[in-house]
Amino acid sequence: MKDDGQPVLLFEQVSKWYGPVIGLNQVTLELRRGITGLVGANGSGKSTLLRLATGQLKPTLGRVTVRGVDAWEWRAKALVGYCPDNDAFYEDMPGREFVAAMARLCGFEKAEALRRTEAVLERVGMADRADRKIGGYSKGMRQRIKLAQALLNDPQMLVLDEPLSGIDPIGRQEMLELFRGLAAEGKCLLVSSHELEELEKLTDHVAILTRGRIAAVGTVTQIRDMLDDQPLSVRIDVHDPRRLATLLVNRLEVVGVELEPKVLANGTHESLIVRARNPRRFFEDFGKLVVSEELDVARLEPLDDTAHAVLGYLLGGSGKT
Amino acid sequence: MDFLIDLDRIGRTFGTHVALRDVTLRLRPGRIGLLGPNGAGKSTLLKLLMGLISPTSGSGRVLEHVISPNGAGEGDYELRRLIGFMPEADALVPGLRGVDYVSLAGELYGLPRKQAIRRAHEVLTYLGLEEARYRRLEEYSTGMKQRLKLAQTLVHDPPVLLLDEPTSGLDPASRDAMLRLLLELGRDFGKSLIVSTHLLADVEAVCEQVVILMNGEVRGQGSVDELCKRRHDRFILKIQGEIEAYKLALEAKAVRVLSYNAKGDFRVSVAEGWKISEFFGLAPNTGSVVRAVLPDDETLEEMFLRTANNA
Amino acid sequence: MSRPAPSPHLLRYRTLNTARRGPWFGSVAIARSSLQLLAGRKMFWTLYIFSLLIFLLYFFGQYLQVFLEQRVSESLVRTGGVFGRTIRPDFFVNMLRDTLRMNGTADTYGDFMWTEGYIVMVLLAFAGSAIVGNDFRFNSLPFYLSKPIGRRHYLVGKALAIAVLVNAMTTIPGLCLYVEYGFIDTWEYYKNSTRLLFGILAYGAALTITLTLLLLVTATWLRRTVPLIMVWTAAFVMSRLVQRWLVDGLGLSPRWRLLDIWNDMYLFGQWCFGTNHLLLRPGNQIQPEYREATAVIVVVCLVCVWYLSRRVRAVEVVQ
Repeated sequence: MKDDGQPVLLFEQVSKWYGPVIGLNQVTLELRRGITGLVGANGSGKSTLLRLATGQLKPTLGRVTVRGVDAWEWRAKALVGYCPDNDAFYEDMPGREFVAAMARLCGFEKAEALRRTEAVLERVGMADRADRKIGGYSKGMRQRIKLAQALLNDPQMLVLDEPLSGIDPIGRQEMLELFRGLAAEGKCLLVSSHELEELEKLTDHVAILTRGRIAAVGTVTQIRDMLDDQPLSVRIDVHDPRRLATLLVNRLEVVGVELEPKVLANGTHESLIVRARNPRRFFEDFGKLVVSEELDVARLEPLDDTAHAVLGYLLGGSGKT
Repeated sequence: MDFLIDLDRIGRTFGTHVALRDVTLRLRPGRIGLLGPNGAGKSTLLKLLMGLISPTSGSGRVLEHVISPNGAGEGDYELRRLIGFMPEADALVPGLRGVDYVSLAGELYGLPRKQAIRRAHEVLTYLGLEEARYRRLEEYSTGMKQRLKLAQTLVHDPPVLLLDEPTSGLDPASRDAMLRLLLELGRDFGKSLIVSTHLLADVEAVCEQVVILMNGEVRGQGSVDELCKRRHDRFILKIQGEIEAYKLALEAKAVRVLSYNAKGDFRVSVAEGWKISEFFGLAPNTGSVVRAVLPDDETLEEMFLRTANNA
Repeated sequence: MSRPAPSPHLLRYRTLNTARRGPWFGSVAIARSSLQLLAGRKMFWTLYIFSLLIFLLYFFGQYLQVFLEQRVSESLVRTGGVFGRTIRPDFFVNMLRDTLRMNGTADTYGDFMWTEGYIVMVLLAFAGSAIVGNDFRFNSLPFYLSKPIGRRHYLVGKALAIAVLVNAMTTIPGLCLYVEYGFIDTWEYYKNSTRLLFGILAYGAALTITLTLLLLVTATWLRRTVPLIMVWTAAFVMSRLVQRWLVDGLGLSPRWRLLDIWNDMYLFGQWCFGTNHLLLRPGNQIQPEYREATAVIVVVCLVCVWYLSRRVRAVEVVQ
């Protein structure tokens, strides 16, 4: 993520509450160009954060700015595209008409609105299907139309709430490509998703939100390594696991070694599950060990350094799935 | 029971639209994932399996129950008694309490009223909804709704569960819980599951067999291991540290780098006789660390996309 | 995937071995849970108490009538010079009898069931949106239709629930009034007026069938409470105003009165009570023929059945 001076989106000590219900509690967040995943359980304040970012809500405390402009001002809104989670459409309207109407709402002249409509429909791959009524669209097509209307004003920042839900794997692949393309153009994308496997394909940079607070921001590996109290579990498939176990158990970083039986096509084998602190040092030592002892390693796999596991730990679960 | 589903050249048309074409399926009881893009005929197949519609050609058996073009169609109540269906839509009845809802489902499945109520409590407790069961359905969270929908498929103890997008809209923690429940039901309590979903990770977590449907035709069926190709010469590496240097070192050793990124994820192809330990040998000199070495066999997703592109 | 921790034996999944019953029991379950849904709403009870007030009016009205006829008519009442003369109570009692007709005749039951009309309509509009419209609105139908029941079992279940409501406000109170009058009058009353009993049941049946079908149709069509109440009011209040305006105002043929379906059912009821067409009240209005009204009811019912079968067939269990 390159630094080009000013952040695109900036949350400064932002809190937001609705009556007695608190949505966000003193959140500070800085986003620059590229894709950031927003991860959190239901009710963790994700939608509040997205709404604040798009200027639909005003923070109770603190300040939200887009390129230095307060997010609820129209100048900021012109820089932001929003693709909402719910799909409330005029079901009887064809997709093209809907996007064109949104373009007019954005304040473009008729000719300009039509030109932009065609451009965004082309972009999301809906140009040939946009004359059908929205009521007959699949979920994937609805998502594309929502994305199309978010792109109308050629925004610098795109806020996408669950843009992948309900899309089939092929359509998903195309959407991910599209997002990568938008990020490559230098836009800033904030994507919330429950589907962490998909999100990880898209970006390594995540913001994890729990109970109205940002629990961590950064790449998944960085966040994982910060979780000092949770030793990393690593699965190792090796020719003689028991010998390796004795070798490893002497190391300081290793806090536990376990043998797990595993049934394969050619008989039963054992895998080694090693739990280690200070992952970086562990992997370094392990690499040296492999070379010096000429170990016949078939597989080395950290079990809990995925976004999924990290989120699990931050939420106070086991992390393992 | 030999086959759970044994369909022979089943076809179904709606007017001029062909929804299913010569579908031949032989699936043993177990945990089955049903994959396919939108419009592939998945929902038609589900309806056929539930005895909601009859095929227009071909014949078959579902749970030893014959389905054929002159079958009962929607009137096939016997078949639906053996199946628990979890719809994708919310399908709740707002205003009812959780336990009323599940016992109503039990009665609709033909249980006597008192049994239905007793069983509703039992199933809700099993699914961890014991505290929520007296609340009205409109107060349920998404995760609770999904579990409630699962409860109403289990109330009559059917041998087969049909699940349409069982994890849609769930946050990661609730999704894990749901997948664990499904796995437990299938593996430990002998239920057959047919899971229709767009989330391939769900299928990977729960299912042992998959069926791939495209344009109304079966493009693949079998166990996940059979369908995904083994690739002995390819590996996935995760490198931490000097990524560029490591890449150069790999290339110097005649390892082909198929793809890599700034996060340190590599996909490489090696020549015959390459030893995995050599990956580790390269690391110290380049100032990097090997965090993962995995055989790069075809994933379910790659297999699915390959099947789709062959079409 | 690590193995889930083994749950204590008590909470483990258990199998079930019970006899299974046919799909029609499902209809009964649907009807029961629909009524349960309504019983949970305060609005329902408020409206139902209103309908009971009308019943109580007739219930005590019949007592009062008999009481006045027997006790008061014998004596003269002096009004202490207010009107400057004595009045004859039997004159008032007779007047009361002729206008209110709370005396165990066909008019008593016919009027009672007709009067319940307004409140029945409002309550049904509310009930329709709560137990039928909501199923369409909140997508509950896949829940029902994925079970081993057919679409007709679903509809019959909902119809049963509505039928119970209609009867609870018309036929059953009507029968109560009938039984009550026998107690006040003589046992001979039951013997001599079996035709009235038949009339109550037949009128009630007509109301039940027609209203149930109409309600199912409007609720599946509109799905929401407010539009449902509006359409329902339009259908029953406006059609009455329109027919009066057309026939009494513009002087068109009395056949235009057939527009008012509530009036049609009233005519059918009177036919079953065996009332002479010429003696129909109010006397100053000419009503269409009994059989014409009956034909309208039958046609309306057939149209409703046709619409329902189309509408429910279009529901997809699996999207």
